[in-house]
Amino acid sequence: MDTPSQKLATKIIARLVSEKLVDAESGKKLLPKLAAGGLRAEDWRLPIEMSEKKEAKS
Amino acid sequence: MSASALTKITIEHLRGSVVPFSLPFEKGKRLSVIYGENGTGKSTICDAFDFIGNGRVGSLENRGLGKTAKYWQSIGKKASDLSVTLETVSADTNKSDACRATVGKGEVVTTPAILRPKVEVLRRSQILSLIEAKPGDRYATISRFIDVSGIEVSESTLRDLIRELSSSREVAVARVQENLDTIVQFWEAAGKIGKDHMAWAEAEAKRDPDTASGELTALGGLQNALNRLADYPAQLIVATQALRAAQEAVRSAKALADDSAKTIATDAGETMGILEAASGYFHRHPTPATCPLCESAEKVEGLGQRIKERLELFSALQAAQQQQRVADKQVQQSIGQLEVLRNNAKRHAQEFENARKGFNWSKDIELPASPAPEDISALDEWLKQIGHLPAQWKQVETARQDRKQFLATLKAAVKTLQDNFKAQKELDTLLPKLSKALEAVEDERRQFTDDVLSKIAGEVGRIYEIVHPGEGLNKISLELDPNRRSSLEIAAEFCGQAGAPPQAYFSDSHLDTLGLCVFLALAALDGPEKTILVLDDILASVDEPHVERLIEMLYAEAVKFRHCVITTHYRPWKQKLRWGWLKNGQCQFIELTRWTNTNGLTLIKSVPDAERLRTLLAEASPDPQLVCAKAGVILEAALDFLTQLYECSCPRRQGGLYTLGDLLPCINKKLRQSLLVEVMTKDAAGATAYKAVSLTSIIEELHRIAQVRNVFGCHFNEFSFELLDSDAIGFGQNVLALIQTLADPEAGWPRSDKSGKYWANSGETRRLYPLQQPT
Repeated sequence: MDTPSQKLATKIIARLVSEKLVDAESGKKLLPKLAAGGLRAEDWRLPIEMSEKKEAKS
Repeated sequence: MSASALTKITIEHLRGSVVPFSLPFEKGKRLSVIYGENGTGKSTICDAFDFIGNGRVGSLENRGLGKTAKYWQSIGKKASDLSVTLETVSADTNKSDACRATVGKGEVVTTPAILRPKVEVLRRSQILSLIEAKPGDRYATISRFIDVSGIEVSESTLRDLIRELSSSREVAVARVQENLDTIVQFWEAAGKIGKDHMAWAEAEAKRDPDTASGELTALGGLQNALNRLADYPAQLIVATQALRAAQEAVRSAKALADDSAKTIATDAGETMGILEAASGYFHRHPTPATCPLCESAEKVEGLGQRIKERLELFSALQAAQQQQRVADKQVQQSIGQLEVLRNNAKRHAQEFENARKGFNWSKDIELPASPAPEDISALDEWLKQIGHLPAQWKQVETARQDRKQFLATLKAAVKTLQDNFKAQKELDTLLPKLSKALEAVEDERRQFTDDVLSKIAGEVGRIYEIVHPGEGLNKISLELDPNRRSSLEIAAEFCGQAGAPPQAYFSDSHLDTLGLCVFLALAALDGPEKTILVLDDILASVDEPHVERLIEMLYAEAVKFRHCVITTHYRPWKQKLRWGWLKNGQCQFIELTRWTNTNGLTLIKSVPDAERLRTLLAEASPDPQLVCAKAGVILEAALDFLTQLYECSCPRRQGGLYTLGDLLPCINKKLRQSLLVEVMTKDAAGATAYKAVSLTSIIEELHRIAQVRNVFGCHFNEFSFELLDSDAIGFGQNVLALIQTLADPEAGWPRSDKSGKYWANSGETRRLYPLQQPT
């Protein structure tokens, strides 16, 4: 059964993806660490930068 | 965690179960109401569920016992004697499973662990614990639903990142300005060349700062070559003086030797050789008999001494000759050194020339007008002519170094400016995205927590409204204190004022209900279909007017759970179930009798009165007195129900006690003739149909023979001698027919008029017509 953190992490990632702040693939990788409190600064920065670059290219 | 149906719990030597006790659960019934007076062992059954599900015995806690494990087992038993076994049947496989909990190393061990049931226990003593708890403790109780500390840590990391990058951006902006100022200063110092300062700076920065390095190296080489030549004039003077001194020494030594030779014979040299040889001989033969040269013995005495004296005359000459030889050698050495000096000077002059010719010198570098002379003697004059050049070269070198340094500084300034400008631009793009992500995380977290709390509060309010309908106390709110971490406030609306703490305004009974509602709402939030809900004597403090609604609420809520066990010593509940006033289709009613230290917990069967009447009538020789007594009570219950339902006119009497004689006439003729019950029947395939049964003939017959109840069933009466037993039995049979038609032992009495056409019981197994008394 999902913990509250896991349930909330799923909602947060869905929102970040819908707002194109991260792509779906990166979101999937972020989810467990986000729920467990294991995200480091670069874990936040890299996917958002990647998504920004992708958006800029398209 | 298993969700299969419960079939039996067996308790061995846990607290009051001094002998093994088994409680079977009826198939298809997920609510078990365990009735018993105080001290019959109800809490032991609750403890058994607590033990197997939670590894604890909650009823012993908070009683000042410290660690309670040593009190878990029955008196005189060991911990190893204690066990609780829960047998279940899987809904999918219909297979029987058993899960057993024992004590091992001071802890409860459940095997197999996968079958350990999820159990939530609420005891009467805990009912107010959540309401009256401190906000922090209240938060701890529900933290399993709203604890998102993992997310909060990740959120904090993101917040720190934004703070750090914002700070980096400020530094980048400052660096850009700082280096821009430097470039402008350089540009102005350079005479504001070009279109603008940046264009100039970028062009200058592209220049190679090492362009002058070759020239500086060559200039250094030229200076070194010149330095090597600079010492030669002085060295020449020293070498020349040394030669002259050596030559003078030769001359002096020769003159001295000549003077010494004049005092000695011409063949003095040869003679000295003979004398030195003889001196050696006389040293070895101090007293010879003859002269070793002429072999004469004449004058042989003192010959050694005389030879020694003659040799001393030759030593001055020898010294002079030695001095001359040394002086000659010194002259030769000085001549050689002078030659080496000349050759070196020549070579170094050539090297200087090579250095001078070997580089394409800038025009601002002045060079000697003539080549360096290879003749050492001309060097001094040449060096004097170019004596000003080294200082000039030093100035050139300094200028070149300054230029190199300037280019390096400018280049670094341009690079720092460009790098920081780029970093600033990147952060200008990234920071809003990160801030947006943080906003999304914060929003979602708040929304999630609010949703969960709102859901719990809404559920509490909903359940509360069932028990206290229309009292307006159901607007419960749960809010996290924004100023304190992990702190939960509970509030309600009271007299139109929102945010009122219920502890301050609610009655004790209302608070008890609220506590129960909070517990039920929380238990239902976390997988209720897998949860065994145990409510231990929670009705005790609820006031009478609310008990019935509370029971109805518990019936309704219990269906959400895997199983619900409710213990009570509330006697009316038992009676209402007996009389079918409460639907008990989903409910298994269990009664415990007095506990003894030899028998432990004991079950007794509570048989409904209609069932008892059926049993009495089924006997081979029914006892008319017992039949009439039981049938009379049942008939009174049925008439009480009908007269209230149809609001029949009855004589008003203090105490409100009515006899058959009062009640039967209240069912007037029109009503009697209208009363009809549709009884639901099921065929073998489970298809339902309704069979209409008129109550008219039953009630009229009962009306006719009602007096047999008093004659047979109530008093010793001579009239009974004259009445037939068959009348008494007939009375009983008619009463049984009436009660079986009117009330369903599982689904109760038809009390609901929701259809608008008839009265119905739960599940509409009985439909009673008419809806109203005919006019």
